[in-house]
Amino acid sequence: MNNKTTRFLRGSLIGIVLLCVCVFSAFSLHMSGQSAQAINEVGTLYMSRMSQQTSTHFESIIDVQMDQLETLAGTIPSAAIHEDPGLQEALIVQAKARDFAYLGFYGVDGALEMLYGGQITIADPQPFLNSLKQGERKVAIGTNSQEEKVMLLGWPSPHPPTETHNCSALVVGLPIEYISDNLTLEENSERAYSYIIRKDGSFVIRTADAYRNNYFERVRAAYGDINGMTPEEYIQVLSRTMAEGMDYSNEFTMGGERYHLYCTHLPYSEWYLITFMPYGSMDSTIRHFTSEWMWLTMLVAAVVLGALLLVFFKYLQLTRIQLRELEEARQTAEAARKEAEHANRAKSEFLSNMSHDIRTPMNAIVGMTAIATANMDDAKQVQNCLRKITLSSKHLLGLINDVLDMSKIESGKMTLNMDQVSLREVVDGIVSICQPQVKAKQQQFDVFIHDISTENVLCDSVRLNQVLLNLLSNAIKFTPDGGEIHMALYEEKSPKGEDFVRIHIQVKDTGIGMSDQFMEHLFDSFAREDSARVARTEGTGLGMAITKFIVVDAMGGSIDVKSHQGKGTEFSVTLDLEKAEVLEEDMILPNWNMLVVDDDKQLCESTVASLASIGVSAEWALDGESALDMAVKRHKRGDDYQIILLDWKLPGMDGIATARRIREELGEDLPILLISAYDWAEIEHDAREAGITGFISKPLFKSTLFNSLRQFTGLPEEEERRPVETHRDLSGKHILLAEDNELNWEIASELLGEEGLILDWAENGQICVEMFQKSPEGHYDAILMDIRMPVMGGYEATQVIRSLERGDRDLPIIAMTADAFAEDVKRALDCGMNAHIAKPIDVREVMRLLGKYIR
Amino acid sequence: MTLQECYAALGGDYDEVLGRLRSERMIQKFVLRFLEDKSYDLLCASMESGNYEEAFRAAHTIKGVCQNLSFTLLGKSSSELSEALRNGYTPEADALVEQVKAEYQQTAQAIRAFQEATAG
Repeated sequence: MNNKTTRFLRGSLIGIVLLCVCVFSAFSLHMSGQSAQAINEVGTLYMSRMSQQTSTHFESIIDVQMDQLETLAGTIPSAAIHEDPGLQEALIVQAKARDFAYLGFYGVDGALEMLYGGQITIADPQPFLNSLKQGERKVAIGTNSQEEKVMLLGWPSPHPPTETHNCSALVVGLPIEYISDNLTLEENSERAYSYIIRKDGSFVIRTADAYRNNYFERVRAAYGDINGMTPEEYIQVLSRTMAEGMDYSNEFTMGGERYHLYCTHLPYSEWYLITFMPYGSMDSTIRHFTSEWMWLTMLVAAVVLGALLLVFFKYLQLTRIQLRELEEARQTAEAARKEAEHANRAKSEFLSNMSHDIRTPMNAIVGMTAIATANMDDAKQVQNCLRKITLSSKHLLGLINDVLDMSKIESGKMTLNMDQVSLREVVDGIVSICQPQVKAKQQQFDVFIHDISTENVLCDSVRLNQVLLNLLSNAIKFTPDGGEIHMALYEEKSPKGEDFVRIHIQVKDTGIGMSDQFMEHLFDSFAREDSARVARTEGTGLGMAITKFIVVDAMGGSIDVKSHQGKGTEFSVTLDLEKAEVLEEDMILPNWNMLVVDDDKQLCESTVASLASIGVSAEWALDGESALDMAVKRHKRGDDYQIILLDWKLPGMDGIATARRIREELGEDLPILLISAYDWAEIEHDAREAGITGFISKPLFKSTLFNSLRQFTGLPEEEERRPVETHRDLSGKHILLAEDNELNWEIASELLGEEGLILDWAENGQICVEMFQKSPEGHYDAILMDIRMPVMGGYEATQVIRSLERGDRDLPIIAMTADAFAEDVKRALDCGMNAHIAKPIDVREVMRLLGKYIR
Repeated sequence: MTLQECYAALGGDYDEVLGRLRSERMIQKFVLRFLEDKSYDLLCASMESGNYEEAFRAAHTIKGVCQNLSFTLLGKSSSELSEALRNGYTPEADALVEQVKAEYQQTAQAIRAFQEATAG
């Protein structure tokens, strides 16, 4: 396709270039032919004009002299002049006055009798004499005694010859210069010049260059090409034309120069004027014009070709880009198709796995139920069955929850329910959930909190729990018995600004790890490491996909994983969370001296720093022996520690043993607290016996430390903090309560009635609207609206009330429903309700919101 | 049989309901009223006749009442049933209806036992 297009384009380009060249060449040739013809025509026209001018000029010169001669002839009184010298003398005076150089009488016999100027020989006397005899005026050429050419003018005598005289004409002479000065007879390649010749080709007047006596000889000798004729042919044609008395025009080359010639008859004579014009000047003008024209044509051709080429290349480029884009689009589509196929295959595999996974616990439940039914009397057996059923159903529930979450995510319906969350509570909760599993597998479990100053943040606690639980339960699941699991939390400044804090959560284990291939698909939906371990462990394989969605897509954080097969896995979650606006109470303890004992140096340092921030100066030790030493030294100085924090698991002497030794050395007064991430129920007995005063559970948040230690200050125990109930007295306010269930209505009425509210009951949305319409304006102060009601639901009822033409149509409407999903809250607000309260009814919350919205 | 024992028998959370209704007298009054509530009959009839929209609302109402009275066990199953019926009939609904029926009977039985105990 690509080649075809390119070939077509190349072909057409070459075609167009050739066409252009041909057309322009033909055009140029035609134009230069045209211009040659034009030169010829112009030459002919110009020459004929010039020759005519020359011949007219010649004629007028002769005419002037002829007029003088006529006047002179008129002065001759009679034929007696031939005999009377006095008369002759008078005539001479007259002639000289008219600037004639020679004067003479011309006899019938051809004898020239000169009156002055000296003897003259006529060059071609016969035609001259004949014409004069016939009474015609005539011009001739003669030579004087010095061999100088003289122009002769003949005037027939007014007195015809008699016996007394034979004079037939009066002849005057002028120097030849008189005529030649008036005709351009200089040969010049720049300008036109002329000869005067006779019919036989002999020169009458010639230029210096034409040294031969006969023009025809000059033609034979010097002329090159004469418009395709040989010199002989040309001479014949010229002679014939002259004999016919016609004008002749032609062109020839001489000495490499092109000339135009024009031949015309001169009056009063047997002479012909031949005028030559070199093409030189005209030719060069026209040639210049032609070459300019050629250049212009070529330029135009080049411009046109250039434009064509530009268009062509642009088009070629565009075509290539289009082709490339097409190819890219095709590849993208192909990739998308493959991805879709892959996802589809993964889904199918997942479904087949899932159906197996679901069937297994389901079969267990069904089977165990059957066994239990068969052994109803055997309480122990039934109990065993029920335990197994509980396990299986919990497992099944987990699977189903994952699948439902995933489908929620895939359909884009998962939303976060942001609320104030205490990181301490979240981590405490997670740790207590994980403890049984950790204990069952005898794993080393440690939680490390590094300087968390912002404990309260805004987050979806359920989802955050889900993420942490997933990471931890994976770590526990994939770490063999006796392995280590480490969880760490630390905070840093968030790039999102002052109101945010960046929380890093790390979960590290020494478990079986993951292959690189698997890591690539770790966060894909419906993926699961397809190896033997699947048989040993269970799950949908959706956990990581859900975790990734929650962390990355919903919370805008990031999740990172490092893993080596056989060595372990480390997950790092980074979240930018908004700080919750809570007034942190002043956590200040007396200026105690404390000792922190833990084998983890980092934990010691971090705990000492946390203690310092609440006003306690503390020291730390890494094992029981040195802790004992330090305590004993202090005791001897009489500067005892006020409290000692002891880790349970210590190298060498463990926490309980250490406590026992300290008690032996220092007595019973000093409080010793045991730090542990484990459930202490099983060690409590031993610990109490050893003299442990109490327990602090890891992680050690600042508030954990504060709350655990404050009991030793002698201050009262922390009271359950309750928001100060500042809600207004709403006694006597009229509230319309829409609720379809009588029992619920009664409960609400009872509880809210005690607060002094006056309640009216509407059994459904329709009745609610009617009651509101019938009431006087401003009667009801608020409506509490159930959502799910027969006839008309709460959403519709709210919309109807909001659209009524009443002054109090914008009274507070508060939704009260058992649907507490974020979507439900949103829909309630979208319908025009002011707020949303989840059932079961919480009087304090209802009163708070009523107080907020009732004016 | 005390009210606490009744709550234990029907799978409820007595402390929670006491926090909400504040007095034993009040709890007792509403617990006994629970037997008169028609939502359960409506649920059974609607499921029978295939009116799932009505059945959903009935299940939803039972859920609401249970939440108010902290009948945790029945509240949970009726909540699940209402989710199964929220967008029309789904196959899970049948099993859940059976569960709701069983747990309703358990609840009703416990309340009746309590009723007899207080009457007697």
